Amino acid sequence: MSTPAANATEYDVVIVGAGVSGAMIAKQLGLAGKKVLILEAGARIPVNTNDFMERFYKAVAKVPEVPYTPEVFTPSGSLTLTDPATLNAGRPNTMTLSETTWKDPKVAYMDQQGTLPFSSTYERIAGGTMRHWLGTSLRNVPNDFRMYSAYKKFVDWPLSYDDIEPWYEKAEWEIGVSADKSTQNYLGITFPPDYQYPMKPIPPSLVDDAVTKAVTGKSFDGIPLVVTETPAGRNSQPYQNRRVCAGNTNCIPICPIQAKYDPSVTLNMALDTGNVTLMVQTVASEIVLDSNGLVSQINYIQYEDNLGPATGKGSVTAKRYVLAAHAVETPKLCLMSKNNGRTPKGVANSSGLMGQNLMDHPLYLAWAQAAEPVFGFRGPLATSGIESMRDGDFRKERAAFRIEIGNEGWNFSIGDPWTTTLDFINGWNNSQLNPKPPSTSAPQALWGPDLVNALNDGFSRQFRLGFLVEQSPETSNYVTLSTTEFDHLGLPRPQIVYDLSDYTKAGFVAAKKTADAIFDMMGATQFTTEPDASDPTAFEVDIDGKTQRLKFFGAGHIVGTYRMGDKPTNSVVDADQRSWDHKNLFLVGSGNFPTVATANPTLTIAALALKAAKTLLDDLG
Amino acid sequence: MSTPTAPATPMQNFVNLSALLTGIAASKLAPGVDPKNIKQTYFDYARGQDPATFDKLLEIFASNASQPPATIADIIFNQSGSGICLFARSVMLMWYLGSWYPPSELAKSGTGKPPPDSTVISSEAYTQGWAWNVAQAHPMGYSNFNFGYWANNPPSLTDFVGGANP
Repeated sequence: MSTPAANATEYDVVIVGAGVSGAMIAKQLGLAGKKVLILEAGARIPVNTNDFMERFYKAVAKVPEVPYTPEVFTPSGSLTLTDPATLNAGRPNTMTLSETTWKDPKVAYMDQQGTLPFSSTYERIAGGTMRHWLGTSLRNVPNDFRMYSAYKKFVDWPLSYDDIEPWYEKAEWEIGVSADKSTQNYLGITFPPDYQYPMKPIPPSLVDDAVTKAVTGKSFDGIPLVVTETPAGRNSQPYQNRRVCAGNTNCIPICPIQAKYDPSVTLNMALDTGNVTLMVQTVASEIVLDSNGLVSQINYIQYEDNLGPATGKGSVTAKRYVLAAHAVETPKLCLMSKNNGRTPKGVANSSGLMGQNLMDHPLYLAWAQAAEPVFGFRGPLATSGIESMRDGDFRKERAAFRIEIGNEGWNFSIGDPWTTTLDFINGWNNSQLNPKPPSTSAPQALWGPDLVNALNDGFSRQFRLGFLVEQSPETSNYVTLSTTEFDHLGLPRPQIVYDLSDYTKAGFVAAKKTADAIFDMMGATQFTTEPDASDPTAFEVDIDGKTQRLKFFGAGHIVGTYRMGDKPTNSVVDADQRSWDHKNLFLVGSGNFPTVATANPTLTIAALALKAAKTLLDDLG
Repeated sequence: MSTPTAPATPMQNFVNLSALLTGIAASKLAPGVDPKNIKQTYFDYARGQDPATFDKLLEIFASNASQPPATIADIIFNQSGSGICLFARSVMLMWYLGSWYPPSELAKSGTGKPPPDSTVISSEAYTQGWAWNVAQAHPMGYSNFNFGYWANNPPSLTDFVGGANP
């Protein structure tokens, strides 16, 4: 294990977390000659991704977390979940969202005490959660930054679209985004005349074409339905010494050829500057304040084996400190930092808002069969979306959403090709594609050419739509410290309280109605099922006088728990992402978003990280 | 199919039986040049699960190999007991999904919740699953296609699975 003597070097900046924010800041500082130390709770960047791929291939449940460490299952390849109390750096996983698991601390890392399960997960590993991002690199629309001014909802960001626009450009080039700006100037998004994305766009899929053909020129509920290519952090040409996308349809959990950007790319470039040191398997455990209210050091605990004992303790000092441990572990670290009782509410928490306003893009999933083959299971997981419903006066009344067009058949929807194959071979009908023929007692069990043709017809017409709904910020949705559940280092695990507001649920209802309308326009047959009564990731809602149960998925977009704002009383950090309370402390990542907005958050996270790097450099002089 | 002059080997019987049940051409399941040799992996794995039933299934196939396919299928699925029927389905699923679904799991009610227990036989078995080819696609995470292929129609189903399928 790389365990440099942390205090042998004078560090300019200590960063907690080696994900996208930490990597981008470290690279910029390293290039400028600043000495940087990154504390990473999880494992190092591997030499190659062979172990990740092997775990993915051999996993029965190919959930987003499965390629990465610590292993979701013990033993690997089984379905037995690793007890999070045995792990030094555990993390949530999507296997613990069922009726019997979501509140079981023996399998669920997060201590969930809310009305609904928080359904998104994150990684604790060098490269961070973006190891399994989709690659969607959308910009927020201008009104995402001014929801209060525009619609008297939520709060405005202390930044405007124009403030962040130059940083979006830099982030797009750091990530390597494939798109054409002529398709992205909707709903007020603007680009400088001389700007262009670094790579040509990713071609749309046949699924995209089928949706486009059906909806072009049409509206629903007064809002035009416009299909737009999705800016993608995947290569349409060689970039950063990485290959061109080969359409492995596996961006989540892992691109096997690294044609999709992940932060290990930037992290390696940061390390290559010679000015950045990475300490892995090093869990930050307390932020220590001096008598002037400045951060004076960060304490950490180290381990060799995630299931083994702690192997050391230490502390690091620097001129500036950056917390980049994502929107659950960052507030957890701040809340744990009580400084022997001097900061009973934790650090950076004079507002009392630390951990509050936890948000996601709760996702409504709808699936159908097209009238003709659209040949899913091919190409990147998504190549186009409907972005035209992300803004409008309706945001006064209900949540906005974007629509992601899926290229993976019913893989996300029902677990295909497994489910339908099991159906046709065994005479079952869990997919709904093998109904009992008239005057027979059971669905057919097929073999030979009939089996091939039934499966081919079933698979080739499958597609789905995912609606990413803008969740309202609520102080009643929060991360805090569990008082009953701890990890193997003895640190408290995060406790989560979570629910969906009526505003958010109204957006869900609009999403369902829009899905129904699009499928009708396409002449597609819808197969979306209502969730079981026992499924905790669902809620009941009245739709046109009828009570219906809608399931929501986590989008993996964890946002809002240390929001930025224009006053110390209404926010945790200022527009520079600097703690109002401790001037040498910065909190970066999507936890500082005041609202979850309507774009997938990664590009905005990266843009804000690059902006923070500039502030840090200005600070350091 | 085996020639009348030379008795089929157990492997030939396994491949021909598998082709009949799966609908995938034997020349695709076991190509002449076969560096992956997944047929041997599957033969060994399935036999290792239950040698007696495996051998019995091959024996039923071999002794009826001259019958029409529908007759052979009827004998396997309907006339030889549930043990043979379910084991044959496990073999089909192995070829399609690269995973072993024990016959005992398939015997349970097919409500699908939770799905039947299974084991991914190997990483290579996952990437050789025929369900993906029947979808005219590729295993998720294992594409041999080139950039942009998804914007065009795939090769024909026959190109993927062989034989006389449309």
